[in-house]
Amino acid sequence: MIDTRHLLNRRNFLSHSVNGLGGVALASILNQEGLLGAEKLRESAAGKMPIRPSIDSTNPHAPRLPHTVPRAKQVLMIFCSGAISQVDTWDYKPELIKRHGQPMPGGDKLITFQGEQGNLMKSPWEFKPRGQSGKMITDLLPRLGDLADEMCFLHGMTGKTNTHGPGENFMCTGFTLDGFPSAGAWTTYALGSEAEDLPAYVAIPDVRGTPQSSVNCWGPGFLPAAFQGTSFNAAKAVRNLATPNGLTGTTDAATRAFLQRQNYRHLQNHLGDSQLEARIASYELAARMQLSIPEVTELSNEPDYILKEYGADESGNKILDLRAAYGRNCILARRLIEKGVRFVQLFNGAYQTGGEGVSNWDGHKKIKEQYDIHGPVLDQPTAALLKDLKVRGLLDDTLVVFCSEFGRMPTFQKGASGRDHNPDGFTAWLAGAGVKAPFSYGATDEFSHKAVEGVTTVYDFYATILHILGLDHERLSFYHNGIERRLTDVHGAVIKEILASS
Amino acid sequence: MLALSGNALAKKKKDVEPSNHWSFQPVAAEHRHGRVDAFLNEAMANKNLRPLGRAERRTLIRRAYLVMLGLPPSPEEVAQFLNDDSPQAWDRLVDRILASPHYGERMARHWLDLTRFAESNGFETNRERPSAWHFRDYVIESFNDDKPYDQFVKEHLAGDAMGADIGTGFLVAGPYDIVKSPDPNLTLMQRQDELADMINTTGTAFLGMTIGCARCHDHKFDPITQRDYYSMQAIFAGVKFGEREMKKEVTPNDTKKVAALRESLTVAERELEKLRSMAATNEKGLSVLRPAVNARLNTETFEATSAKFVRFTINKTNGAEPCLDELAVFNTRGGNVALAKAGAIATSSGNLPGYPIHQLAHLNDGKTGNQWSWISNQVGRGWVEIEFAKASLVERIEWSRDQTGRINDRLAIDYKIELSIDGKSWSLVASSNDREPFGGKADPNAFLAKLPAPEAKRASDLIAEIDLNRSRIAAMQNGVKAWVANFSKPGVTHRLHRGEPMAKREEVPPDALEVIGSLDLAMDAPEQTRRLALAEWIASEKNPLTARVAVNRLWQFVFGTGIVDTPSDLGTNGTLPTHPELLDWLADDFVKHGWSMKHTLRLLLNSNAFQRSSQPNSAAARIDASSRFFWRFPPRRLEAEAIRDGMLSVAGTLDRRMGGQGFHLFDVDRENVVHYHAKDETGPAEWRRMIYLFKIRQEQDAVFGSFDCPDGNQVIPTRSRSTTPLQALNLFNSRFTMQQAQKLAERLGAHADRVPQTYELLYNRPATSDERRDAEKFIGDHNFLAFCRAMLNTSEFLFIF
Repeated sequence: MIDTRHLLNRRNFLSHSVNGLGGVALASILNQEGLLGAEKLRESAAGKMPIRPSIDSTNPHAPRLPHTVPRAKQVLMIFCSGAISQVDTWDYKPELIKRHGQPMPGGDKLITFQGEQGNLMKSPWEFKPRGQSGKMITDLLPRLGDLADEMCFLHGMTGKTNTHGPGENFMCTGFTLDGFPSAGAWTTYALGSEAEDLPAYVAIPDVRGTPQSSVNCWGPGFLPAAFQGTSFNAAKAVRNLATPNGLTGTTDAATRAFLQRQNYRHLQNHLGDSQLEARIASYELAARMQLSIPEVTELSNEPDYILKEYGADESGNKILDLRAAYGRNCILARRLIEKGVRFVQLFNGAYQTGGEGVSNWDGHKKIKEQYDIHGPVLDQPTAALLKDLKVRGLLDDTLVVFCSEFGRMPTFQKGASGRDHNPDGFTAWLAGAGVKAPFSYGATDEFSHKAVEGVTTVYDFYATILHILGLDHERLSFYHNGIERRLTDVHGAVIKEILASS
Repeated sequence: MLALSGNALAKKKKDVEPSNHWSFQPVAAEHRHGRVDAFLNEAMANKNLRPLGRAERRTLIRRAYLVMLGLPPSPEEVAQFLNDDSPQAWDRLVDRILASPHYGERMARHWLDLTRFAESNGFETNRERPSAWHFRDYVIESFNDDKPYDQFVKEHLAGDAMGADIGTGFLVAGPYDIVKSPDPNLTLMQRQDELADMINTTGTAFLGMTIGCARCHDHKFDPITQRDYYSMQAIFAGVKFGEREMKKEVTPNDTKKVAALRESLTVAERELEKLRSMAATNEKGLSVLRPAVNARLNTETFEATSAKFVRFTINKTNGAEPCLDELAVFNTRGGNVALAKAGAIATSSGNLPGYPIHQLAHLNDGKTGNQWSWISNQVGRGWVEIEFAKASLVERIEWSRDQTGRINDRLAIDYKIELSIDGKSWSLVASSNDREPFGGKADPNAFLAKLPAPEAKRASDLIAEIDLNRSRIAAMQNGVKAWVANFSKPGVTHRLHRGEPMAKREEVPPDALEVIGSLDLAMDAPEQTRRLALAEWIASEKNPLTARVAVNRLWQFVFGTGIVDTPSDLGTNGTLPTHPELLDWLADDFVKHGWSMKHTLRLLLNSNAFQRSSQPNSAAARIDASSRFFWRFPPRRLEAEAIRDGMLSVAGTLDRRMGGQGFHLFDVDRENVVHYHAKDETGPAEWRRMIYLFKIRQEQDAVFGSFDCPDGNQVIPTRSRSTTPLQALNLFNSRFTMQQAQKLAERLGAHADRVPQTYELLYNRPATSDERRDAEKFIGDHNFLAFCRAMLNTSEFLFIF
């Protein structure tokens, strides 16, 4: 099979090729060992032939063309770890308010993750119409509410597990089990990145720690390690980025130069070996990243009004401190998008600093008390981020995705003041490039328990995201252990109803 | 749907047509050639490829060491080989390599990738499995012993039936979701996932078949039906996760040894007790109190009394419900008449519910430690009674809270012990009344201070002897605890429509893949029988897949790519073998040589193909860029583990101790959910070979994880070899590299010829004059440490050529 994009892409790569490596790059296209080669292409379960990205091992992050004309080039995913309650945020149900305090029909027979149900409970936060569209959103997230007109809601989302770990795996990788490539890894595997001197895929963990599924949320699975998310945030730098203690910059630079000379000398005896060329290129890129990553994480040159807007200027109590820390991560996310990073995954909520609901959205027992902290922490910085992206024109090319591993029940748990897990009906929203807004698609039943209209799966969700990126989810696959693996497994359909008309 | 009776259905033919796919055909028994190179040369000639010449000898020894041992040779080993002029030099080198214990460590890394081995549960809780390392050691030892591959495979699936319990660590080496819920859907799905992991791993590792694809529907490409999948599931249906004591083969010799040890134990105990009473009588001749009770062991001696019952009543503890590890009653001949095995029966006032490790049966099971103990259901009180098989003349009682000495709570501090001949009238023989009051930190050896020096010395010798003999007895009687498969009676297995746990269809019998043959098992075949039958079926010379899959993997371990380059898929979706006749010859020869892996590896190492130069050649590359026809030896980057091991080795810091508990590269924060924080600094304790790393699922080592190191969640038959800037940052800037560079600098820095020595040590070759000039200049401008840091980062150090 002759793939013309392949050739085009190589030319593209040559024009991108880094200082002094033109010769190396030229040699490398003679031999693409490992990632390309004369590979047998197999039909996937969907009966379509895979489209393999043409990856140059000397520069695996070079930008690559999508399958079709893309509607968005970058993705910013905002992930609320712990399962944010749709009942208390985006999913307005007058019937639930009316029947507040009454048993849910059939609820007595329903066993959810932690057990039996108490009565139906309306949200402790009042729903109000927001924006021009009048979308009903609660007082928990007023500033995000103000941006309702930018959002495209999926109210009929469904998952397939009600435990956090598998749930986060499912939402991040399309599989409930550990060890599958994350959506960001798939995206950068397919498309590379426009950000030359930065990682193609960045995960920004909450300052309080990592989500339940930890590094699996941004892992490469069985894709080459080149496509794993690099994790850092505004408070914690990339490991091993800094020059080792006690070394002068001069010695450090001279050492790298000596290393590269030694590698070049060695290469002379193995001309054309792309693996060796790739290593030389990787040290050059690493050196550039040592400058470019601190540059992007250094927020001190952000103007005061930006810090204020993101809530990153105030501290003094728990909420303000957390909001400021998350706000700085939001600013970092914007800067990464600005620099062309392909996939940015921003987390709100963590599991290290307290389990159930304390530092994440897992409000089983005391949802009011806990969300009264989480709401303000999330609201202002996320809203500022969305506005900032819009003002800077970045939403034209960036798809913003807001999601969580699943939703929560419209009832309180028996004997508790919080809600149990609910994978049968929850809300995600999209904004920016490629989607209709303001728009709402799908619906849960009268209480916000089960999705009943416009029911969408995580597979549909990702089929759609990939579609917006110009990728056919049935043809973006990777051969592993006998199977053409996909982000969407063997399922999924693009949710055409939510796509913006071009 | 009608359910057929067990046997009827078991014999019913499934809807599988015989397949004409190559890998399902019997392995050829007739061969056109009898040498690896003969097959390869013929294929090269057909492609107009000319093989390169033999590589230099120093390249060869380095290649052989890196490929087979995962460590570079020392300059002395290189010199020895270079100076060996005999025609057998290479054969001797191969023999030395295959005899090295590092061989097993290297091969085990490949095997543990294939068996998705890790030492934590995975998922969000990701708790550790502190005893899982026994399986890792078993794999290393099996390779080093050249255990026949068929036996090795059988032990993985049914080692419990073959005196090799540890092999079944394979079945449960995968991830395990311990987050349980009252929601029945979730529980069923979790179980389905566990079984799927066992089926997938068995299918890919041994058979090169993607059986897992048939979980929801018949396999799209291979002749594997959904019924096949659920028949496989029925084989594993009784397998459960957990830690357990491995079965200990107790030989008659062991029994004799235990009896002898017991006898000397009794003698020592008696003598010690005399010394104790001596201490209890102070210099004025007045009786003083006995030492306070302790958790580890309390001994009560009394006039020999005839009894059929003993009763131990607890009135107070140092906290919570009382716990007794073991209650032993000795007759005048030193035998424990309270043992369940001797026919004694225990009863109690009540038992703490819900803890399998705390049971009444553990009171007199002869096994010691908290996990074999009884706990009362009442706070601070409770009683136990043991009825002996027959009335006996008894004179000594031993009781303990935790004989291993680890746990000190729940200790009976106010108690009495009574004996009875009829179970009605009781006489008091011992109690806490004549003991020192319990002070929280009871020292069982406090009495020593009250003895004259010679007796005190004698008493402490006796205590040491008793401890040693006790641990010897325990070791001979209690098996070792390890993370291996647990077995239960399997329930009925149904085919599940679209793989949905709630959508049960017809019952299926335990069976293997229909396309290759049936196991002919009844629907209700016993649990172990099922696995044993599958094991025999897989590890059979008649199975067309097993030997082919195995030799193809060995080929891949040596040459980097298999003859089939989809080593876990020999189905129709896999690629065809580049050298089908060679593959069959190797498979046939492997079986004929007793499934000896060392035999086959020796064939490969002795081939010209292995000893060929790795130089690139543009003419040949145009025909065969990836060197699949072996006109050259294909170079490749070392794996994460071999890079780290190699750095330690050349820095002179490698701790070559084998086996045992692994080392940690994480600080572990053990909440309900376990968090792992990469250590910033490592020291000699972490400088063992990386196969001994305590392997945590998901979490990657902060330096070497980025070198495509698998995280134990997936079966990995072939490692990716990507090159990334993060690898460069880690290897160039990490504390680990700086430390090892420092050690390397210290090792060589004082030598006048330190530059050429570095080249010999890291590359196993002399430095060229160019290199030497450049290095000396660089060291002069900067320092030797900087040079060492650079050298540890070079491609030549990190690649097999």
